Amino acid sequence: MSGTHPFRDRTAIAGIGRTDYSKNSGVSTLTLALRAIRAALDDAGLATSDVDGVACHRVGDSVQATIVAQSLGIKDVRFHLDLFGGGSQSAWTVGLAAQAVAAGVADCIVCWRSINARSGFRMGGTGRAAPDSIEFQYQSPYWFATPPQQFAMYGRAYMDKYGVTSEDLGRVAISQREFATLNPRAMMQAPLSMDDYLESRMIVEPFRLFDCCLETDAAVAVVITSTERARTLRQRPVLVSSAACGGGHTLYSNGREDLSTSGAAQLAPRLFDAAEMSPSDIDVAELYDAFTPLVLLQLEDYGFAAKGEGAALVAAGSTSLGGSLPVNTHGGHLSEGYVHGLNHLAEAVDQLRGDAGPRQTVGAEVALVTGQPGYVAGTSSALILRADK
Amino acid sequence: MNIKRPIPITDLDSVDWWSAVSRHEFVCARCSDCNVWRWPARAICGACGSMTWEWQELTGNGTIASWIVNRHGFGGAFPLPSTVVLVRLAEQDDLLLPGGWAGSADGVDLSVGLSVVVGFEDIESETGDSDHAVLSWGPRHG
Ligand SMILES: [Zn+2]
Repeated sequence: MSGTHPFRDRTAIAGIGRTDYSKNSGVSTLTLALRAIRAALDDAGLATSDVDGVACHRVGDSVQATIVAQSLGIKDVRFHLDLFGGGSQSAWTVGLAAQAVAAGVADCIVCWRSINARSGFRMGGTGRAAPDSIEFQYQSPYWFATPPQQFAMYGRAYMDKYGVTSEDLGRVAISQREFATLNPRAMMQAPLSMDDYLESRMIVEPFRLFDCCLETDAAVAVVITSTERARTLRQRPVLVSSAACGGGHTLYSNGREDLSTSGAAQLAPRLFDAAEMSPSDIDVAELYDAFTPLVLLQLEDYGFAAKGEGAALVAAGSTSLGGSLPVNTHGGHLSEGYVHGLNHLAEAVDQLRGDAGPRQTVGAEVALVTGQPGYVAGTSSALILRADK
Repeated sequence: MNIKRPIPITDLDSVDWWSAVSRHEFVCARCSDCNVWRWPARAICGACGSMTWEWQELTGNGTIASWIVNRHGFGGAFPLPSTVVLVRLAEQDDLLLPGGWAGSADGVDLSVGLSVVVGFEDIESETGDSDHAVLSWGPRHG
């Protein structure tokens, strides 16, 4: 070890903001974004005039970052990022913004994700044109296009290799629903039993309804600034200890021969090294959960369990309330709502500030927040955050 | 059930591959320098960086890497249940191609590792002015 990584703990999340979560917001993705940003600035005790950078990720389903910047009245946009990408990029948007602040490019960057994912552009495909991908031509003639189908294809290969059962997937959904019952924001509040899970209708085998994330109209925003400045603001800062991007193979890259692992396994060593931490340092993990197997896969690929042992960790209760590694303490995309990874980040901030109420992980000092592990998109990204001392 | 499959939307890198499929020919791009196969066709070899390649015929043999059974329509017009397979080609472990399944619509005859052989399913365009085909895999016997 040759000393502290130059990026480690230099920047902080100074504020978080969320809109209501609904199935029909009745407003534009621009208005949602502005509401979440306004809330995040209020949380931090900052004014719109303090903002000099903007960053979002989207897949052609939300307002451009430039329009948000103009609406906020930013006279000179020192950092601008409008990343094309789904959940795999959710942590990287924030990671890049933090690196820009650490490099002195900008001083105060707002990052957000804004979607009318239920009332507008549905990922599930209702009424939408095929995504802008030259790879889709090889799938769409077989009626193989939507995310549930794509993740089900990889999910079965993972389940087959390691003997993962429907009950193993069900335990992920049930554990997260237990957290959601303690979260007033969560869209799914009713307790979920194994019978409820197993009796839910098949969507695309091997996935049942409760293996799939929600579709939500919402926006979530965070404010990134220097740690020094964050310490002068309203909230206890949450430091960005490390950020990493990695992986890259998809079905179409020639290199994806193993469908039971992901880009997360490649970026994880860099992520932990840059934070000068190991998996045992993580107190709470908010793992991107578009579909249940992604949680098991990431428990393994981030080093919390050996390959094939993620399901055993969940079955032992380790990832549930009061366990050694609570996972998706807000209910995740499965039960809180789907804000394309940014709601996981906001939950991690709540946990590290001690603001998570009845679902608080006692003594949480360090959190892992991940993007979609690259199962479909190839690349993935993740952040390690820690509470300021 | 007679629901037409969507016509593949080709691009300038893929049009020759789809033309071959429409003639019921199964080909793949192969690097002329290091002999690594690549699919879909790209201008450069990801293994060695060579820009020189050619189409070569495949055996049409593979194994099932995974499959899904559609039970929900996602707002589109397609038959339920319907099965989509992901086939690992015999030529190289990282060649994984989606395709249709000529066997049971609910996939009960499938298992990971099952030996399969390529077939083709002709589809008509909406205007009927051109011929198209897509991959339709079936079990390989003997
Ligand atoms: Zn080559």
